[in-house]
Amino acid sequence: MTLKTIDCRGMRCPLPIIETAKVIRVLLDGEKFLLLSDDPATQTDLIAWARMTGHHVEIRAAHEFIVTANKGLSSS
Amino acid sequence: MVHVTGNFQSESPLSDRVAEALAEAFAQGWSDPRKLSQSSSRARILLDQCIQSVAHTLRVLPQEIELIGEPNLGPTWGAAGLLISSAPFYYSAVDRKEIHALARTHATSHEMPVDQQGAIQPPEIPRGSVLSLQAANGETGVVQNLDALIESAPESQIACDFSAAGPLVALPHRWDTAFFDPKAWQGPQGLGILAISETTTWRNPLPHLGALRTPSSFSIPLLVASAIALEEWTHNHDMESARIRNLTGEFRDRIRTRIENCDIAGDFANENTSLPHISSLSFLYVEGEELLRSLDKNGLSVDSGSACTAEDLAPSHVLSAMGLLTHGNVRVTFHRNTTHQQMLSLVEALTENVADLRRN
Repeated sequence: MTLKTIDCRGMRCPLPIIETAKVIRVLLDGEKFLLLSDDPATQTDLIAWARMTGHHVEIRAAHEFIVTANKGLSSS
Repeated sequence: MVHVTGNFQSESPLSDRVAEALAEAFAQGWSDPRKLSQSSSRARILLDQCIQSVAHTLRVLPQEIELIGEPNLGPTWGAAGLLISSAPFYYSAVDRKEIHALARTHATSHEMPVDQQGAIQPPEIPRGSVLSLQAANGETGVVQNLDALIESAPESQIACDFSAAGPLVALPHRWDTAFFDPKAWQGPQGLGILAISETTTWRNPLPHLGALRTPSSFSIPLLVASAIALEEWTHNHDMESARIRNLTGEFRDRIRTRIENCDIAGDFANENTSLPHISSLSFLYVEGEELLRSLDKNGLSVDSGSACTAEDLAPSHVLSAMGLLTHGNVRVTFHRNTTHQQMLSLVEALTENVADLRRN
């Protein structure tokens, strides 16, 4: 199954994080998607976002992040 | 919307007494103190008095003080003068960009990481190294434990940067250079004060003839104003710093209660790890410049902490190194004339504006 992909390349911070939060809202617990973002702030900010909201982020490659919903801890 | 006027930026206006002294010093048009005329000799006496006064308060010797007309060069000047040998250079991930640039030009440089509270985590540092240490970080207000860091680096040379800390942080038990910026004690902009320890092997890093340690092209009126501002600051310090620390503590608590998903840099509960008057706040899902502009419309001026501007796309290296949110960042500075009511108004305005921006 191919991973749902959200392409935020070319967007400046905090837009990629805002888009991530919008997508997460409609996902079920454990569902994941691939975020593409080339903004230099995305990596730091996505990790900070995950710490604040309880969702999970994994860095797959440069500018590629796997985001997994954790609805057990938070719904934001 | 709340409509109040408040300056929460790092720069604050000079006090009336300092502004008057500055204007008078400029009006007198001081001669070059190095020349031989009577007016030069008067300038020399004034210069010596100012240096002695500043040295006394900063707890250095008058002969250790050099004045620099370009303050942003100061920290680099201090460290570069120690780096002439092939010594390994250690600097922190949250150090000034100028120091990061210096590290790039040096053969063996090592970046020291910081923890999430901004405290430097030193690796094993070999003897004979040079360390660049900020007493406090100007962006976050995080204060380092200088003595412990220096203890972990025996027989090393130490370039300290007190530009944000000023006299709020004590000099460590051992140092080679210490840089001060009068802005830290509400003095004028445009003068740097570099203390070079009597016992150090520091050398002027620029090509020079003779024994000149700095270019000596600084403004005497700015020194006069800086010395008077430091006297004033010291006089007010005991009364004011506890009040400002309480104000900042209450401000941070109120922000945490009112606004969710906000990173506040540093551990303010521990008095030794943060300056009393600076708060760096990052609000999730908010664009920092938009927040700055909307606060400005309410008559509230704060500083933009994070870069993310048209000129510089890179996020703040300081916040990144601490693992903190880099977007939606503003820096709030409380001054000696900041009132409790102004602090409350700022909390209200931040709460309303962050909510508005998150809705859009």
